[in-house]
Amino acid sequence: MPEIKVTPLGAGQDVGRSCILVSIAGKNVMLDCGMHMGYNDDRRFPDFSYITQNGRLTDFLDCVIISHFPLDHCGALPYFSEMVGYDGPIYMTHPTKAICPILLEDYRKITVDKKGETNFFTSQMIKDCMKKVVAVHLHQTVQVDEELEIKAYYAGHVLGAAMFQIKVGCESVVYTGDYNMTPDRHLGAAWIDKCRPDLLISESTYATTIRDSKRCRERDFLKKVHETVERGGKVLIPVFALGRAQELCILLETFWERMNLKAPIYFSTGLTEKANHYYKLFITWTNQKIRKTFVQRNMFEFKHIKAFDRAFADNPGPMVVFATPGMLHAGQSLQIFRKWAGNEKNMVIMPGYCVQGTVGHKILSGQRKLEMEGRQILEVKMQVEYMSFSAHADAKGIMQLIRQAEPRNVLLVHGEAKKMEFLKQKIEQEFHVSCFMPANGETTTILTNPCIPVDISLGLLKRETAIGPLPDAKKPKLMHGTLLMKDNSFRLVSPEQALKELGLAEHQLRFTCRVHIQDPRKEHETVLRVYNHLKGILKDYSVQHLPDGSITVESILIQATAHSEDQGTKVLLVSWTYQDEELGSYLTSLLKKGLPQST
Amino acid sequence: YCDLHTFELQAPTRLIEWARGNRVCVAGYRQSYGNEILQLIPPPTLLTKETQGLCPERDFKVECGGFSERPVYSLKYVPDTSLMVTSGPPDNSLQVWQVSAEDSDVIKYVSTIATENGTGQSWAKIATISARVPWVLHGSTLDRVQITEVESRKNVYTAASRGSEELSGLAFLDCNMLLLCCVTGRLCLADIRQPQNLMEATSVPSAPCSEQWCMGTRHGPQGLELRSQPVARLSSKGLLTLTDLRKTSEFLALAKARVTAPGSGAEFLCVSWAPALEGYLAISGFDGTVHVYDTQSWDSSGSEAEPIFIHKGHAFGGAGGSGDPPLVTVHTWHLQKPRTLLSAASDGSLHVWDWVQPCGKC
Repeated sequence: MPEIKVTPLGAGQDVGRSCILVSIAGKNVMLDCGMHMGYNDDRRFPDFSYITQNGRLTDFLDCVIISHFPLDHCGALPYFSEMVGYDGPIYMTHPTKAICPILLEDYRKITVDKKGETNFFTSQMIKDCMKKVVAVHLHQTVQVDEELEIKAYYAGHVLGAAMFQIKVGCESVVYTGDYNMTPDRHLGAAWIDKCRPDLLISESTYATTIRDSKRCRERDFLKKVHETVERGGKVLIPVFALGRAQELCILLETFWERMNLKAPIYFSTGLTEKANHYYKLFITWTNQKIRKTFVQRNMFEFKHIKAFDRAFADNPGPMVVFATPGMLHAGQSLQIFRKWAGNEKNMVIMPGYCVQGTVGHKILSGQRKLEMEGRQILEVKMQVEYMSFSAHADAKGIMQLIRQAEPRNVLLVHGEAKKMEFLKQKIEQEFHVSCFMPANGETTTILTNPCIPVDISLGLLKRETAIGPLPDAKKPKLMHGTLLMKDNSFRLVSPEQALKELGLAEHQLRFTCRVHIQDPRKEHETVLRVYNHLKGILKDYSVQHLPDGSITVESILIQATAHSEDQGTKVLLVSWTYQDEELGSYLTSLLKKGLPQST
Repeated sequence: YCDLHTFELQAPTRLIEWARGNRVCVAGYRQSYGNEILQLIPPPTLLTKETQGLCPERDFKVECGGFSERPVYSLKYVPDTSLMVTSGPPDNSLQVWQVSAEDSDVIKYVSTIATENGTGQSWAKIATISARVPWVLHGSTLDRVQITEVESRKNVYTAASRGSEELSGLAFLDCNMLLLCCVTGRLCLADIRQPQNLMEATSVPSAPCSEQWCMGTRHGPQGLELRSQPVARLSSKGLLTLTDLRKTSEFLALAKARVTAPGSGAEFLCVSWAPALEGYLAISGFDGTVHVYDTQSWDSSGSEAEPIFIHKGHAFGGAGGSGDPPLVTVHTWHLQKPRTLLSAASDGSLHVWDWVQPCGKC
């Protein structure tokens, strides 16, 4: 039986370092190549030795696909391609290709420069790795080779995130990466067509979550910002250039407009240009609303949000500033943080996950006395808040996606085994498909039933539809035909046509059975008895007594002769063709029962 | 409001039950197969006493879940065990489930406590108590009230029959005394040590028989004798009565709630006392709102009472006017935070809210 094999090298039953190997119809594909943000040693990379113990991986993999830019999906890519060795194609969407190298470089800087690690990829490696990348468009079918093709679908979640369909012949797998089924202010919702893949690989990080409504989160966020600004404090929001920042800007802009607030909102200069540049470039990736309004006015040119200048940080009075980088580990956001940390009227709102070792991580863990360079101690009196506007699919979203794609099997990654049992049962019960949850290094084999297309001759189709009741979509109709397998094609034709094409002659099968009957009278009297008997019983059939002394029942012939040795016994020869088997057998058993006495 | 969180469940629930460790349980009540029972861990904001604004974890997490073939109308945890009991149409039997959150996240069906079936589509109301052996008190009508041992399924007590009216609720007052409330409003007290006796408590003030009643007993702080707490009864026309069980011949108080559509149906009528606030109760089930009242100012006149607070969130939640406006199916108080309530509605919404005292204190 053909099968699809899936082995997670990471994200099997934990979050982080997503990396999944899929083997489909002889092709090997690697899905994502992420880094685990919680570890500092080799455990942060997926275990590539599973693919091969030594040597470069180019020969073992047909392609690598990256679903979106966060480090837990692409962080190990330069290590994988340059340090372990892979020269084949790497596929990702255009926005991902643009953003990935920035993140990787940023991360490299923290790890090597700040934390002093040595065995890490270099800037040159990042560049070399990106040279191997082939960017794809949404819904564009890309032929990786003669048999393997891939297609990207919109996944929402972050800019450029995509779900990928991998197809070889008629077997296919869909990998979702991280996705979101509900649209937010600047991105739409994930969407896929009824592609009916053999396997759907879905993340289940938030499957057990019932999320607080977005309105409440936003309301609380705005409340905090408003309160701080009202009492004259300053709010610092460290962000990465893309993603949540745009969402929050739109949110604040609308709020400021509605409440007629006067406090200034600033956006780091480098940030504005870069962000606007990317959004304009990838405007097709944002949601409908933004695209519509973009024509009237640039959604990312805000009325209340202005470009920031370093000097503004010292201005008295309330203000809100968005600055990079997002984890407060260097640059402008750290500078501003140091200026404002000592005042308890101020607030810093952390937008998301911070890597260990960064100031962001430290203050979120509760540290209030930080050691800066030059052994200076910084006392943090400002309020520290954490905000999670993460956009992952919850249980309802996962069910929705499965309903859209209609896969035959589902495989869950990114969740803990114990906590996914309920979801697994839910999926199995509702969709009647099998659900798998492998751990890292564990291979799951999924059997597929590939469809083999067979051409049917028009003549046969016409003939079969003419017989019997009209075709009903709900009831399968039984057809008779001959399957010809010739020259790599499969065709269904009528038997006559098959014989003609193959140059074969049709054979006729005829069965003859002898039935002995005790009857001392003459043959023609016996025949008369048999005739009357059959005529009486087989009222629906055509029973005829022919002049030559034989009886026919439909196309079956019955003749009577005397037994050679015993005059009292008559032998009835019942003869029928293969097509009349049923009636023939019936007649034989009927006659074997003997003739009634009266006739 | 001091705080408001709104959540959306995949399927609406008509019960919210608290469990050990501050867990909350909800369950679906669709007539068709495939209802889920979910045990949820509330977000940390609800577990701590002080409210934080932007807590990292703001969501409910599904700790474990189970599948029920029948709609789940009532669910009670069996104290001191890892079991829970549910009931629902089409008959009076109870289903027993095992919850073992550490081993797996599936709530497994264990057994059924079968009962004689009554007529019609009635379903058993249930109550549980922590006793030497875990008991469940159940029954759908006044003549079918019994106590069964949960694990052995042995019948321990059957109440004497005093009529066959449908019950709207029952409760353990302590390990010997039971309180039964019929939909007609009749309250009955029973002592399980005297199975032949069924004491009648007061009847209801007015007698139009189209009204349906339900009751709420107070689960006060530990050590407070439940018998001394007044029992509240709510009718489908919005009438509220408070009765002291030690003096059942008269009402402690009588009031009328201002409801928009009185008598529109008693399926989701719900009245409950605040565990941490003296004299406060909440009602729901008439429309998409939950009313909170301070009963300390009430008397026996039956005049209209002014609610301290009305939660209207569910009425606004629905997707823009399509179909019927949502109806609040159930509400419950937070066990420790004095002014926090949880309410659920027929559109699947689940709200957790906390109101501001009229004098401005929060």
